Amino acid sequence: MASNTLYILLCSGEHEKVQMAAMMASVAAVSERPVEVFVSMNAIEVFAKGVSAAERYHGGAFSKLLKDKKAPDPMTLFQQGKELGDLKLWACSMALDVKGWELDHLEDEMFDGPMGLTKFLSDAEEGQFITL
Amino acid sequence: MSETVREKIDARGAFCPGPLMELIAKLKLVNIGDEIEIWSSDKGSVNDIPEWVKKVKHEMVGITQEDGYWSIVVRKAK
Repeated sequence: MASNTLYILLCSGEHEKVQMAAMMASVAAVSERPVEVFVSMNAIEVFAKGVSAAERYHGGAFSKLLKDKKAPDPMTLFQQGKELGDLKLWACSMALDVKGWELDHLEDEMFDGPMGLTKFLSDAEEGQFITL
Repeated sequence: MSETVREKIDARGAFCPGPLMELIAKLKLVNIGDEIEIWSSDKGSVNDIPEWVKKVKHEMVGITQEDGYWSIVVRKAK
């Protein structure tokens, strides 16, 4: 993997952090930078299939502002990053196991597959790593 | 001599990175040499769009401040 790859470890289900992850991932991807996002812990629940935006996003005061002002939906931003750039999302296999979920519990055409943390950390050794 | 094609996008009211994403999606659809004029009320677009254009090697044609928004024109270079 190229050394300029951006690796994002998204653990938080907080709306503001999911929004920031989606913004960084999509903008980096369309700027010709490979991006890999590893989704685990509470963040995996944000990607549950068939959930309305009102149910999906929970956070603090800024979350309310994001909703009121109709900021771009993080799911849409991730999809745009995938369509327009080199963006991959990986579902933490441990988080799926703990939830008792398969990939089909998650939004369609969002994830590139399940992945273990060991593989993600190994891939990320030479890139830039951000945790949210 | 052929006339320059200029497509328009009205992204006023969209927040970062919405205008940039709309611009990029449209750039995929037009021909090399065509221009896209995007209207954005998002202040960040004034810096972000030229920065992106420079990074991915398209061309800035110009930025004009209008009443409550900016008109940013980009030429597809590749």
